[in-house]
Amino acid sequence: MSDDKLLIVKDLTTTFATAGGDLPAVAGVSFDLARNETLGIVGESGSGKTVLSRTIMGLQPRVNTTVSGSSIIDGFEVVGASENEKRTIWGTEVAMVFQDPMTSLNPVMRIGKQIDEALRVRLGMNRKDAKARAIELLELVGIPSPVQRYNAYPGQLSGGMRQRVVIAIALACSPKLLMADEPTTGLDVTIQAQILNLLDELKGRLKMSVILVTHDLGVVATRTSRIAVMYAGRIVETGTTRDVFYHHRMPYTRALLESSPKVANKSHTRLVTIPGRPPNLLSLSDGCSFAPRCKYATDQCHLVRPELRPSIEPGHTFACWNPLPINAEATLP
Amino acid sequence: MSAIRTPLLRVNDLEVTFYVHGHAVSAVSGVSFEIMEGETLGLVGESGCGKSTTGKALMRIVEPSKGTVELEGVDITKESGKALRSARTRMQMIFQDPISSLNPRRRVKDIVAEPLDCWKSVTGVERDTLISDLLSKVGIDPSVYGNRYARQFSGGQCQRISIARSLAMRPKLLICDEMVSALDVSVQAQILNLLEDLKAEYGLTLLFIAHDLAVVKNVSDRVAVMYLGKICEIGPADTLYESPAHPYTEFLLGAALEADPDSPMHSQTLEGEPPSPMNPPSGCRFRTRCPNATQKCADEEPLPQEVAPNHLVSCHYPLTIHHKSATPITLEG
Repeated sequence: MSDDKLLIVKDLTTTFATAGGDLPAVAGVSFDLARNETLGIVGESGSGKTVLSRTIMGLQPRVNTTVSGSSIIDGFEVVGASENEKRTIWGTEVAMVFQDPMTSLNPVMRIGKQIDEALRVRLGMNRKDAKARAIELLELVGIPSPVQRYNAYPGQLSGGMRQRVVIAIALACSPKLLMADEPTTGLDVTIQAQILNLLDELKGRLKMSVILVTHDLGVVATRTSRIAVMYAGRIVETGTTRDVFYHHRMPYTRALLESSPKVANKSHTRLVTIPGRPPNLLSLSDGCSFAPRCKYATDQCHLVRPELRPSIEPGHTFACWNPLPINAEATLP
Repeated sequence: MSAIRTPLLRVNDLEVTFYVHGHAVSAVSGVSFEIMEGETLGLVGESGCGKSTTGKALMRIVEPSKGTVELEGVDITKESGKALRSARTRMQMIFQDPISSLNPRRRVKDIVAEPLDCWKSVTGVERDTLISDLLSKVGIDPSVYGNRYARQFSGGQCQRISIARSLAMRPKLLICDEMVSALDVSVQAQILNLLEDLKAEYGLTLLFIAHDLAVVKNVSDRVAVMYLGKICEIGPADTLYESPAHPYTEFLLGAALEADPDSPMHSQTLEGEPPSPMNPPSGCRFRTRCPNATQKCADEEPLPQEVAPNHLVSCHYPLTIHHKSATPITLEG
């Protein structure tokens, strides 16, 4: 079983102790990821997608944080492992590309040295080999004249180039799982396309699995094989990308899809909106978290939380008491 | 819609030059356009193309170094003192970051009332009714939230308050600079719909500056595309998106990600990054990245030429225009 599954997440829960009480940022998330698969995790801000991705690799804050459940990366149980134990998998098994390339690089350290660091510490390379490999990596991620750029500071590079450097660092120790948390947010559309193409290409070339965390449905639409939609710390629908886009059952998924403007719309198209705003995680009801904003909500929705249950397609699950009808394809944008 | 329209804003050969370490950087170099009364002009482009600077120069938040900005026939670049201040009441700006554009330590009703207080144009009673009215219009209950501080509101609500403040002086022209880019899709849709409602109710004219092509398409009658300080193409939203005439516009549209797994993947992505505005290329500014560029593009700067009614493009080799929907736009419903 661990042969085809690279990552198995079971009932993962991350709770922050705050002044206002315990905040369940991620609550009982379960899914698994096959080798060479790309999973998209989609949700609005505060839905827990970033906390989830960090908890999966054990990067959650050390204080005031409780994690339960399990996250097994290639046979290694991350939950409960010590920092030293986790260091053995960071970089080599799992690596992360963070959102903001401006702040995830050290501004006063040459980019070459920042790539070297991973190679020397993790793989024990000597200075010379590390430099040669770093230059190779810069070339791999499409940085022009890598030999010269090896000595550049992050401030001398554009946002897109910096993100390429961050990707090079993540790839330095050939991880099996690459987590990309909003890797293109803040980049221009043409640069965004370049970075996503690069990730796609590298995934195939290096035989990695990728988890793409984003708020942008456009980013996941054509780049992932499966999608998990998150709302208020839980996965509310998951399935193949096509199933989630065309056969979704959860009203929140529908609402999210409908409220994003499309290039194909005529100008002055009225957008479908979701009333209200995401719930306060400190005062969640026992029912479905989306119920207060859902037009199909019944008493049951407010009282009892729906668990994920299967739809007709294999691997497609959703959490809703009053799901959309199965044949929903015709009505989608 | 009236058949005969007069331009509310006429911008002619606008230039803005910044000085960086003594080097002149031409952020906006010779931009001309008109906005008709009641129209929404979308201004798109990648970061650094000068779209925000253009918006600010219209308000004279940054000083144009050349060119004229005529608001209702009066050139405001020549105005100063009281005349300029009063011109600014007729054009208002909404900024990108809703939270930092409001003072967190002031009460909402005072923030919205500030323009009125500055001009002392209304009595106390009128002021209160006006504020209540404006806040209700943007969906903020004045009796509940009027006395709260700006810091107590979410991003979407802050943007609503910014809109209320900008409408306090009953402006003719609203300049929206990336006003929804910091918001989640569901909130973004609410704000865009609100903007359309208020536009109709107050008879507003909009300059909508954004990098998101789908958002711009949804709100705009006409769209202008900027590249490196110049407008490379301007035309009616529907036709420009359907059949772009400038190669850059085509690349930009190709790079935009649609939230649809079946959307065609554009194999061609624009390589490289925009050149530095400190040292722009000769002739056509896009020529360094344009696949169709010839010697002529380096030697001669292309002037705007009309390729279809109201559709201007600055390119020596414009793409062929093909109108699928050449029929006049009819209002539905």
